[in-house]
Amino acid sequence: MMALDLSQNKHADVSYEEKERLFEEVKADERWHHVLYGCYECGICVAACPSARFYDFSPRVIAQAVAREDIDLIYTLMSDSIWDCSQCFSCDRCPRQNSPGQIITVMREVAVKNGLQTAKDALQGYGRIIYKIMATGSQVSPDMLQPDAFPDWGTHVYEIAENLEEWRRALPPETLHTTETGWKVDQKTIIELYLIWHMTGVMDLIEGVDEGLFMILVDVMEERLEEAGYDDITFD
Amino acid sequence: MAHEEVKGCVILKDLHYSVQDNTWVKADGDVVTIGMTDIAQSLAGPILHAKTKSVGTARKKGRPIATVESGKWVGPVKSPVTGEIIEVNEQLAGDAQLINRSPYRDGWVVKMKASNLEAELAEMTTGEAAVEAYRQKIEQDGIACTHIDDSDTYD
Repeated sequence: MMALDLSQNKHADVSYEEKERLFEEVKADERWHHVLYGCYECGICVAACPSARFYDFSPRVIAQAVAREDIDLIYTLMSDSIWDCSQCFSCDRCPRQNSPGQIITVMREVAVKNGLQTAKDALQGYGRIIYKIMATGSQVSPDMLQPDAFPDWGTHVYEIAENLEEWRRALPPETLHTTETGWKVDQKTIIELYLIWHMTGVMDLIEGVDEGLFMILVDVMEERLEEAGYDDITFD
Repeated sequence: MAHEEVKGCVILKDLHYSVQDNTWVKADGDVVTIGMTDIAQSLAGPILHAKTKSVGTARKKGRPIATVESGKWVGPVKSPVTGEIIEVNEQLAGDAQLINRSPYRDGWVVKMKASNLEAELAEMTTGEAAVEAYRQKIEQDGIACTHIDDSDTYD
């Protein structure tokens, strides 16, 4: 059986004070008192967890580390393990009503808000999805089905990628006759989305994690907002 | 054209490079042709869309002049100079993989009229210094370049 290797910190170490500050931010989250009550070590969360089956990951380790307030271990987990969770919340069947999945949600948010390298690395592969949803209003596009991006689809993906426009035109609704976006999104909807991203601070989060992506989004959004008459909104 | 290959990545010695942003510049008076490096195309993978900013757009150094998308990646081409876009590579709209096949020739991205070229060129690297800078970057980041079918050869 493969042992959990918690000794390897994959990212640059930081001071104990910094680790403590990050954990304080986790604990200050208003969800905190509803996701952690204590741990029997019964292992139900691990037994239910699909990520524990396939990765070097254990929801129980997460719950115990935060319950013990083991600052060093929490930082190690934030630097790696928390990104192995599939956020399915199967661990919510904990008899103590702990939710390791939600503890991880909060830890991830703190990692993103603080622009930790671990968050940048974990989210890198999602850059185009974030770009798609924020720039076009639909999160995935048919043209993501490329052999190099989805080799696990097998050789069939070559055929799909080659004839994508024809496949899409075969779908009855005209709004799906697209390859660059999932469906045609109304301009008014897109402008509303841009305003939401602007007002809720989502753009600030993205700037901390992926500067290149932020730059592209600002470029797209400012231009379209200006065209729609919102010429006083800037994201910088 | 004089070039060097490091881990399969081609570096042309007569171009100026912004190594950090993986862009190249070829100056002709105050007009510069800008493109992505062989390393950049390789890291991106087969490119699906390359959307350039329009002719007439004024850009400061470091701002995006194009958005490039591959299967799972999207990123900006950051302008290595300050100036105005005077021409864009129209061919990229229909065949973005020109950047993959010919990053230094047919796959150029935009031409700009630069307003502070001398100082900005001085901040870039060229010749042997560029080869050395890329050699370090390639080794440090563990990069090895790959090329799609029908790519340019530099022999």
